[in-house]
Amino acid sequence: MSVALSDVMLGILSTTIQLSPFYLFAGMGEIVSEQSGVVNLGLEGIMLMSLMTTFVVDYMTGNPWVALLVAIGVAGLIGAFFALTAIKLRMDQIASGLAIYLFGLGLSFVIFTVVYPSGVTTNYVSLPPLLGNWNTIPYVGVVFLKQNIMAYASVVLVVVTAFFLTRTSLGLRVRAVGENPKAADNMGVNVNKVRFLATLFGALMFGVAGFYFAGNFVPGFQTDIIAGRGFIVLAMIYFANWKPYRTLFAALSFNVVYAAQSEFVSIAGFGVASYSTLFNMLPYVFLLALIPVFGRRARPPKFLLKPYRKG
Amino acid sequence: MVYAGGNIEVALSSLFLNPITLSGGIQQIFVRFVLFYTMGLGVGLALKAGLWNIGAQGQLLVGMVMVFVVYTFLAFLPWPVLYIAMIIGAALGGLLWISVPTILRVKFGANEIVVTILLNVVAINFAFYMLSGPIKSAGTALGFPHSVNLPAQFQIPSIVSGLPITYAVPATIAIGIILYLVVERTSFRVEANTVGESTETARYAGIRINRVMAITMLAAGALAGLAGATYLMGYRYELDIGSFSTNYGLVAIICALVGRKHMLGIGLASFFFAYMTIGAESMALSANVPTYVVFAMEGIMMFGILLGYYLTERKYVV
Repeated sequence: MSVALSDVMLGILSTTIQLSPFYLFAGMGEIVSEQSGVVNLGLEGIMLMSLMTTFVVDYMTGNPWVALLVAIGVAGLIGAFFALTAIKLRMDQIASGLAIYLFGLGLSFVIFTVVYPSGVTTNYVSLPPLLGNWNTIPYVGVVFLKQNIMAYASVVLVVVTAFFLTRTSLGLRVRAVGENPKAADNMGVNVNKVRFLATLFGALMFGVAGFYFAGNFVPGFQTDIIAGRGFIVLAMIYFANWKPYRTLFAALSFNVVYAAQSEFVSIAGFGVASYSTLFNMLPYVFLLALIPVFGRRARPPKFLLKPYRKG
Repeated sequence: MVYAGGNIEVALSSLFLNPITLSGGIQQIFVRFVLFYTMGLGVGLALKAGLWNIGAQGQLLVGMVMVFVVYTFLAFLPWPVLYIAMIIGAALGGLLWISVPTILRVKFGANEIVVTILLNVVAINFAFYMLSGPIKSAGTALGFPHSVNLPAQFQIPSIVSGLPITYAVPATIAIGIILYLVVERTSFRVEANTVGESTETARYAGIRINRVMAITMLAAGALAGLAGATYLMGYRYELDIGSFSTNYGLVAIICALVGRKHMLGIGLASFFFAYMTIGAESMALSANVPTYVVFAMEGIMMFGILLGYYLTERKYVV
């Protein structure tokens, strides 16, 4: 069996462009949250809940936009609860985040099976390609133009987040409360309010990421379907040193490796799953191998994980 | 769905009574207790030095795989030697797995949360590879791969025949007490706590920070790996993909936090969570709800306990 090299390249490129927006939405959310000093380890749980909501609402209404709105709403609710525990009640952020993860992992599947005890009969309605069908145009059409509006929005979000964190007064306040909440407080910034808003924004973006996952990763809902990809976002922004553009780069390079190994596995056709799982490790090992290079330079916000009490 | 309209008595009795009245319930409680306590001790130990081992689940998996790697590839060893080698192999597997985040943390200052999380995903793929290749039972040509069944002489025996409590239970409690004596009653506690509070202070105090970090992390990995051995050799006897997505490692983190990083407190928390988890599973079954609801309940329980801590502490602080 011979496989044209151009087809392989096209496959890798197309998969990379299709999968990366998920990591961008989640990454920008987590960056804003962590810049304010709050690590949201519950991101995967929130995304599972919004993913489940997306499927349920989409099956019921047939309208992906309604599904997006409800998914963001659900994510916002859980995010607000997390923010309450981590900021107002000063619970340990890691502990609270893990609890949110377990909560979302369990509840998402339970709700789905309660709503659809005997399986789903309707089809998932996904967002149409933004610019219509351009499959006839080689490369550009197949890779870029077929993406839906959310893929484009994710790139805009990266630009907006970078601008927000460095050029707007609210963005500077977000970074100030993560870097030195005491000084920010003395300057009249309401530390916990800014942290709450930043954490809530993060959760809303996890909602969008969960929605995007539904249209582009999987055809239907299953248990633990995100399978750790949410947690990978934490690693990506670590390598990116909490910077939006570098996160874009990290997401793209991770997905290039991911797409390359999955192309390779499907071409090689190992039959039994045994060797393919070895290759599935590659993208993660790739990230690990980068740690000695980038880990040394990583400089997290100084008051990450530390709750703030006025006075 | 039968639970609509809710029979609260049935629900409550399944939650609190079924773990001890149902057949196999007590065995299940102690299996979970051993799992949570062994792993929780490690997580708590690392936490004392301010290090988050989110990767207990990955180290547990590698420990489980190592049990069968040793069993398959060192089969020429005589029985008692092989038996011990399987247990040590599992601990070594966990230790090896956590040595990656340990080295990256100590040498490169890399965040251990990120690395242990990454390694969890790698561990699942690694375990799946090992299970579908090197340690696969010859009997599974089709269907989900699983390992061979451990013969009786490689199983951890019950203390009293007929009673479903294995020697793993007193052994785990003994480990907990030893760690309590070694960690809580010596200057190591102060050293670890100082490193956990502030590396600056620790440096001024002349504490060898890297050494403290390395010891606690490596011990955490070894303990999580060991939990894999007691789980397989004391209860499950074979490895299949059912053991992969169990999230026991996360519950162990919860137990370590609920037990306030105290080597004996973690034991109490582990028993509580073992009991409640089995209760929640039986409640889910009797209410015809997927057992995944247990994860959600564990999350809620955790919030409840954290809130309790918050309320009791506020009295003294504010």
